[in-house]
Amino acid sequence: MVGPQYDFLLNPLGAVRSTFDQAISSGSDPSSFNGRDWGAIDLFHNFLSDHLSQVPVLTAATIRRVKPNTLVRFRGMIQDMLGNEIYVGAFKDGSVWRTNKFMDVNKLMADSHFPMASSEDMAIWERRLLYCVPVPGLNSWAEISPEAVTNQCMDWPPEQREKRRRADDDPSDMLVSGDEVQGSPNTKKIRGEQPSVASHSMGAVPEVAGSSLNIVPDLDGNSPPCIVKIYDSPESELRLNDIFEFVGILTSDPELDEDNEDGDLSNEFCEDPLHHFPPNKVPRLHCFIHRKLVVQDLLRKNPIIQPTPDLIKGIREALIRHLTAVLGNDGVAAHFMLLHLLSKVHARVDAFAVGNLSLNLTCFSKETVSIFGNQLNLAVKNLLPFTHHIPLTVEYLNNASLSPKKNYDTNRLETGILQLADGSHLIIDETKLEAGTLNSVGVENARLLKYLMECQKVEYDFKYYKMEMETDVQLLILSEGKSNILPAEVILPFQPSAASCSEAVAAEAWEAWRWYLASVKQLTHSIDSEMQKVVENDLVAARQADRSLNPQDLSRWLTMGRLISLSFGETSLSLEHWQMVKELERLRRERLK
Amino acid sequence: MASDSPPTNFNNDPSSPDDSLSSPIGNTFSSPGDTSRRRQRRRRSLTPSAFGTPQRNRSRFASSDGATPTPSRSRQRDASTPTSTDDIPASSEGGDGYDMEDSRPTFVWGTNISVEDVNDAIQRFLRDFREASSQNDVDELHLHTEGKYEKMIKHVIDVDGESLDVDACDVFDHDPDLYTKMVRYPLEVLAIFDLVLMNMVSRLNPMFEKHIQTRIFNLKTSTSMRNLNPSDIERMISLKGMIIRCSSIIPEIREAIFRCIVCGYCSDPVAVERGRITEPTICLREECKSRNSMTLVHNRCRFTDKQIVRLQETPDEIPEGGTPHTVSVLMHDKLVDAGKPGDRIEVTGIYRAMSVRIGPSQRTVKSLFKTYIDCLHIKKNDKSRMLIEDAMDVDNGPGRSSEEVFFDKDKVAQLKELSRQPDIYERLTRSMAPNIWELDDVKKGLLCQLFGGNALTLASGASFRGDINILLVGDPGTSKSQLLQYIHKLSPRGIYTSGRGSSAVGLTAYVTKDPETGETVLESGALVLSDRGICCIDEFDKMSDNARSMLHEVMEQQTVSIAKAGIIASLNARTSVLACANPSGSRYNPRLSVIENIHLPPTLLSRFDLIYLILDKADEQTDRRLAKHIVSLHFEDPESTEQDVLDLSTLTDYVSYARKNIHPQLSDEAAEELTRGYVEIRKRGNFPGSSKKVITATPRQIESLIRLSEALARIRFSELVEKHDVIEAFRLLEVAMQQSATDHSTGTIDMDLINTGVSASERMRRESLLQSIRNIIMEKMQIGGPSMRLLELLEELKKQNTGSEVHLNDLRNAITTLASEGFVNMHGDSVKRS
Repeated sequence: MVGPQYDFLLNPLGAVRSTFDQAISSGSDPSSFNGRDWGAIDLFHNFLSDHLSQVPVLTAATIRRVKPNTLVRFRGMIQDMLGNEIYVGAFKDGSVWRTNKFMDVNKLMADSHFPMASSEDMAIWERRLLYCVPVPGLNSWAEISPEAVTNQCMDWPPEQREKRRRADDDPSDMLVSGDEVQGSPNTKKIRGEQPSVASHSMGAVPEVAGSSLNIVPDLDGNSPPCIVKIYDSPESELRLNDIFEFVGILTSDPELDEDNEDGDLSNEFCEDPLHHFPPNKVPRLHCFIHRKLVVQDLLRKNPIIQPTPDLIKGIREALIRHLTAVLGNDGVAAHFMLLHLLSKVHARVDAFAVGNLSLNLTCFSKETVSIFGNQLNLAVKNLLPFTHHIPLTVEYLNNASLSPKKNYDTNRLETGILQLADGSHLIIDETKLEAGTLNSVGVENARLLKYLMECQKVEYDFKYYKMEMETDVQLLILSEGKSNILPAEVILPFQPSAASCSEAVAAEAWEAWRWYLASVKQLTHSIDSEMQKVVENDLVAARQADRSLNPQDLSRWLTMGRLISLSFGETSLSLEHWQMVKELERLRRERLK
Repeated sequence: MASDSPPTNFNNDPSSPDDSLSSPIGNTFSSPGDTSRRRQRRRRSLTPSAFGTPQRNRSRFASSDGATPTPSRSRQRDASTPTSTDDIPASSEGGDGYDMEDSRPTFVWGTNISVEDVNDAIQRFLRDFREASSQNDVDELHLHTEGKYEKMIKHVIDVDGESLDVDACDVFDHDPDLYTKMVRYPLEVLAIFDLVLMNMVSRLNPMFEKHIQTRIFNLKTSTSMRNLNPSDIERMISLKGMIIRCSSIIPEIREAIFRCIVCGYCSDPVAVERGRITEPTICLREECKSRNSMTLVHNRCRFTDKQIVRLQETPDEIPEGGTPHTVSVLMHDKLVDAGKPGDRIEVTGIYRAMSVRIGPSQRTVKSLFKTYIDCLHIKKNDKSRMLIEDAMDVDNGPGRSSEEVFFDKDKVAQLKELSRQPDIYERLTRSMAPNIWELDDVKKGLLCQLFGGNALTLASGASFRGDINILLVGDPGTSKSQLLQYIHKLSPRGIYTSGRGSSAVGLTAYVTKDPETGETVLESGALVLSDRGICCIDEFDKMSDNARSMLHEVMEQQTVSIAKAGIIASLNARTSVLACANPSGSRYNPRLSVIENIHLPPTLLSRFDLIYLILDKADEQTDRRLAKHIVSLHFEDPESTEQDVLDLSTLTDYVSYARKNIHPQLSDEAAEELTRGYVEIRKRGNFPGSSKKVITATPRQIESLIRLSEALARIRFSELVEKHDVIEAFRLLEVAMQQSATDHSTGTIDMDLINTGVSASERMRRESLLQSIRNIIMEKMQIGGPSMRLLELLEELKKQNTGSEVHLNDLRNAITTLASEGFVNMHGDSVKRS
């Protein structure tokens, strides 16, 4: 529609302006836009669907290099919503309409008249402010590496993700792309870049896998927090704690540094949250396009082309082997561990979260936890993108701020440790807990953890009231006896037989496992009516035999059944897998005796 | 002066041709300033809307001069447009009066609203508006009765008030067009409103010096904070929220006086215009004329109070995954400190935007606007609740405990529609905790508890509670606690406590010494806090006896009496108690009575209207249903399985509306049925030919039945308790009774089980045992003779009573009874006849 008379990457505002002028010249009245798009976003959509990989990523390392007013992308979790901002969207400069959309200050406007003559001469629009931070607990393997930025091949746009992932993201696959009509002009280019992708990722990943030091997420290396200004998108699309990739214009106008002491609203108390974020520390991003990220998007590449059942089975077995080794040859624990890693909340019925499977490994001692706890921690860090490790001590409970709190002085939501993105993994090491006195904070924190475990919800403290936020966090508890503070769904005494594993894992294996966990988790699952009968009969029989089984136990079996079939990449429960559930449960009960 | 000047004004005023009508009433008056001052404040924003600001400024001068209100007013009237308040010699910007003389039909800038029209409309409204009831006979009474607002104005004058509250709904009823204009162009219309008011006041009492402000409230539509958008700017809006921060009071300059440092000449007051005061650059005195010599004289300037308040969305308006929005509200004068953080208020005001300058000295503006609400009126939501006396009223706004729920008409219609459905009772039952499976009768009982009966206070002072108390007893793992949690979430001021963690004082109230002042302070406990709510007590059986005994008073008298440390008080605790208990031996023993199973004192037990036993029966059918339920939970789309269920918010609205608005009365038919049923139940205890007297119902049950039937009528939104309500109440009671008060040895209902803990048949057995022991002792022992061991006695007893089993314990009890009669002496194991 518009010829490339401007550089999308370096002068995105040029594109905005020219489309705006075009829209005006074709007779549109700016006041009737009402802030809606006039074609600029489509333009960027088209451009980015092919050139996303060329857009530089905003990280701590690149922030100094990226020039203001250029196109960047940023990945982060929405930590707080700063409300809406009303701005002069379009105004008349003399007789010409100009727009302010996607920018903070318009030089033209500053030069022109003040105050604005009348409402006739300007249109007031609205945009949303989001405060985004790097995803808490992001492991280094899931970070987007700044060096590989230009080599990154992202799937885009989201609707075509499924199709395009296979084509674009795995260029080594020569079989596809025949039917990829729209991607074909670019496949060549991407293929051209292929070698560097390989060398980079190959170079980077073994390091990650090899040394434990690198695995700890390097906070300094993380991308900075960022204020993202969102235009034209329904409110429901962006939710707190979602992980998004934003593409937009980076602005950090030094002029804005000066405090805006003018308004009488601001000098009483600084209710303007932006006040607390000087632009030189927190860049502003005027967002054109945003899309929600799933774990697959965080993988550096997708090693599996066509997931065949055999392949999945192979990966599953390898992963179980590894987990068994990590867990000192405890096969039962490894199986439960796998199910635990695959669990996620897939439905909510009233207060119940269905589908999560928290695991409590008991019978740890101070010695075993130092060996296996660390190994486990390491393994989980390498497998899942967002992980946390909490050594639960009385001191920790008494001092930590687990729940996010609203600070009305700054009008900000101060994050807490439990403000986590969906799919985060939390290891809670209870072996460190000793007898002691909990203060009120400690009691509250213990309650929060329990509530998180039972309902998968976190209470956010808004001072005058609490607000419950649904989350989806996998919880793994390591304890000496059964944990009463954190009543997990599965309690399994841990019985290692070998001391430790020093098995080196190839980078490819990690990649495969990550891909496996991420994609298998997303599968849908159902049960056919025949199987349903079998399951029902089994449940009834079990309950007749043992009255102490409560509905929660039965519910857990079904969750396990679901997870076992998912772990084989299957979408419906088979009898064989149901038998496996019962067998696993039998082994577990034996240990509990 | 007062006597003649007002008429002059009005006669001169072409825009009020009808003042001949109102002047007879007029007996009072004066005033301009505050209103216009406020107007001006609104104006301060940089938003361009060029409607008559300067004139209004000047009117304030007039008032501040104090001595010369009359001339200013007459001049203003001459000017003939109500907006051009007047023109005053002191004005430094005389040129601004341009629209005064020529533009005869004055239009509000940028609109087609004629100032005169609005002026007339407002005058008509203030003068003529009458409440709907008296509206019919307006014609006859027109001149004789006063309009609602005329009366109010007079009242304001009498109490020396500063503002007149105007119900926007009244405006709408009287003149929808005026209402629309007012909402759309609030600044302009309110300015006229204030002027008209000012004129009316000055007509009524020319001596009245204060400036009465119009405060509009109760707009027809209320916006949510989330939906405020640029199109709302400069419109009148009303929204609800919670105050989260109040600034300190800011003195805001209204008028400045400058003095020349060269000659000492003081300038006339300079008004604030568009948020700033222009310092005269040159001394105005002819002789002096020195440049840049004027300085501000602080203590001669006039300031008003201002306060900035942050308002946050109430939790129920926040969509899933969002954070609450906030908005700043500007309060002036009397509104300052009207609310404090934590208050839930409803604000009526004007949504304003203010552009942000980059630096204080720079003229450049950011393209940003800050938005705020210029507050006209605030209404505290929880204040109105406290005014309402009727127990069981109002505050069943589940989930939004301290907020009165207002229902708009659509909502009410929707709820009423719902209530007309024949299966509403079943539907509500299904909607209660849909994930807790089965237990329909328990849910029905809980539903009744939510709706509640009517509290009644007789003239004699005796009062009957309307709250229904329920006890759930059952095996572990039967989702009692979940039911409790659910009700807790649903109920208004629900307090959830666990028996183990509750002490008597924690539940009721306790007295502490304030660490700072040393005064004794009464602190409320859970039951007092849940006044008019539901207090959920989990693990009731684990509660200490001491704590439980405190509940006696609460559950029947609905008060908590305190007599401690010099404080003697009786606190209201009109709360329904929902308790749940585990059987004493972890599992319910069906061979023992409820009392024996839960170890609760019968005195307390009898205060529960309904006692449900939730037993985990080893029944394949129920297990199968459970299995089905769980499987469907996991594998079916939860939405598809529950379409027929009301969502939580509808349910809560339904309950709160019913509790607030429906107060059913017993119909004669229902009363008859009640009597008949009660007598029938009582009769059941008298088996023909049996001397055994079993009490199957007590007056407490009648009360329970009335409460239950009232609640059932409420569920249907019916003002009349009908026969089928009573029948259902009987059924509910019986279901609960059958489970809890069945005497297992006979299979009949026996209220004695609840009331005394011992069933009638058991009492009869003991009686006969006592008799036979007495006989044996009479036979075998002489007075003062040798003693007999208990075991020997037992042997003897067994020989005689071959039919029934006798335990040593029973015997010991019987002997103790005999000993207390003085029939025998007991030393250790030996019994001696005395």
